[in-house]
Amino acid sequence: MHAKLLLPALVLALTARSFGDQNLETAYRSTGATVLAAFEPQRQVIQKSSAVIYDGRSEAIYGVVISPDGDILTKASELQDIKKLSVAVDDKKYPEVTLLGTDPRWDVAHLKIDASGLTPVTYAPTSAVPQGTWVVANGASTRTQRRVLAGIISAKIREISTAGGGALGVILKPNAKELEIAEVQDKSGAKEAGLQKGDVILALDGKKVAKLEELAAILKDRKAGSTAKLTYRRKNEETTVEVRLIARNEMTDDMNRNDAMSGEYSERRSGFPRILQHDILGAKSIVGGPLLDLDGRCIGMNIARADRAESYAIPVEDLKAIAEHMLKK
Amino acid sequence: MKHLLACLLTAMSPWSAPAEAARPYVNDKKAPENRKDLETIQNALTSALGKARNATVCIELAQGSGSGVLVSEDGLVLTASHVSGGVNKDLTVVLEDGRKFKALSLGVVADTDAAMVKITDKEKFPFAEIDRNDSTRLGDWVFSLGHSGGFDKERGSVVRLGRLVRMTDSTYQSDCTLIGGDSGGPLFNLQGQLIGIHSRVGTNLPMNMHVPIQVFLKHWDGLLKAEFIGEGPFVKKPEKGKGFLGLATEARKEGGLTVTKVGKDTPAEKADIKEGDVLLKLNGTELKTREQFQGLLKEMAEGDALEIEALRADKPLTLTLKLGAR
Repeated sequence: MHAKLLLPALVLALTARSFGDQNLETAYRSTGATVLAAFEPQRQVIQKSSAVIYDGRSEAIYGVVISPDGDILTKASELQDIKKLSVAVDDKKYPEVTLLGTDPRWDVAHLKIDASGLTPVTYAPTSAVPQGTWVVANGASTRTQRRVLAGIISAKIREISTAGGGALGVILKPNAKELEIAEVQDKSGAKEAGLQKGDVILALDGKKVAKLEELAAILKDRKAGSTAKLTYRRKNEETTVEVRLIARNEMTDDMNRNDAMSGEYSERRSGFPRILQHDILGAKSIVGGPLLDLDGRCIGMNIARADRAESYAIPVEDLKAIAEHMLKK
Repeated sequence: MKHLLACLLTAMSPWSAPAEAARPYVNDKKAPENRKDLETIQNALTSALGKARNATVCIELAQGSGSGVLVSEDGLVLTASHVSGGVNKDLTVVLEDGRKFKALSLGVVADTDAAMVKITDKEKFPFAEIDRNDSTRLGDWVFSLGHSGGFDKERGSVVRLGRLVRMTDSTYQSDCTLIGGDSGGPLFNLQGQLIGIHSRVGTNLPMNMHVPIQVFLKHWDGLLKAEFIGEGPFVKKPEKGKGFLGLATEARKEGGLTVTKVGKDTPAEKADIKEGDVLLKLNGTELKTREQFQGLLKEMAEGDALEIEALRADKPLTLTLKLGAR
């Protein structure tokens, strides 16, 4: 229920004063071509060791080349929507792709292409580098050429849990006397259960709730994925339904406000045992590829574009373990 | 409050402590060209980061959270006016290590989104140095800190690197990407000096706007004196007559007003005013009739401080409170 303070674009025009207004040319901005040209050595590694996963003719996501013989890791949940899967490494396209396995815990899939002599990534010795350290990732790509984006390690290595309580997926009317639903969120348990705008929540799991705090207190201890019995009133008629609870950090209304200013982000962006956070913010398709240090070594694998300002990568220690496990199978 | 302000004025001036870290040569290159240039940026950033982060705070309000930055040892914090929400507001400041302190908002510059807050708990705080020489230039490499999405001890404040891509007198724009919760947080140059405060974002990623530190320095005295400077749009000026106390009174024969009712969850209740209390003086003015009392309140606005001299069971007491919003 916390509003995170940052104003969207509403006042831009007001501050555009002509006096002393100076602009930096696009090429010299952090994501500009001239600045990124300084990362040519790392780009050459990306060219060889970052795979491009295609859906038909369009670039979907990236992958990490982990063996000379065509073993590639990528983000599993993003594969689901791909209709016509093919893979490119360097300037060569591979139409035959086999899915060998997935690791749901890390959202990693193991793909195999019929290739030999590929250049797998070289793993960095540790992901425990200081915050502020440069990192480089696959940015956009033409059919034969990879481009890069650069950024820095932004925050502490940590778990991104789905805990923090389940959510119904409704926005309540503010300052109302009752728990009246103002909006039912898409892809939520509340929507599946048929709840509608205007319904008034009366009880959860048999416990009467009249205040937001009472509702929040019950939900706090409930896990995402479990169900709750919800009693509501619609036109003087009381009904009880089962509602599937969703991870709070993917469904609360404050995140929605942040999401609204985030553009594209990964559908699965929580429930990772450990992540490295960085500030490379390409399209949603930035995920799946390797994250390199200035030595061109793989410090992690990009696994989620979390929101407008945050990207997550699987740290190299965990990535190595996943890769070894996948290759053994 | 008067006492506190007097303290502030004598103890704090923005012109103390000289800060002279060298401006990295890479700022004067159009773009980094090689590994050495990139490492110069990285080394400057990593060495400035610790101190900068220790000075970065989360500001918690009833309705959400923003960020801010400590600029003096005794707890002066710079933030955005849409975070502090106005003058004389009670806030909580959370340090990087999770310690929480009580704070009060001082002045705001409503038309540029600048604001000042003072931690009222006594303590020696870590603080950031301010760039007082106006040394910032277009294209400079800069880094932002902020408690994106609220305080998270496991994560800490989040750092992002970018360049200053646009400058006007009232706004800097950088390509350090900001998100909700970062508002009021600091923008630093590579020497670790404070050059701006995060204000707002546009819909596309490179539109991240900051209030230049010069705006704060220009209005420093007014900010310290808890003045409401300028007009909107970042914070609304409290209107006279819209203040709310939440009690009913009737005139007493012997003078003063007897409290006949105290509303639930009102400023009066929070200030511990009880039914039967006799209100004698409001900010030094003797109270005679209900109409006169209401007239005095009408001249005040939300957030204004009241000092009420009263009698409870014939014993004198002084009650202090702030008017709420109607």
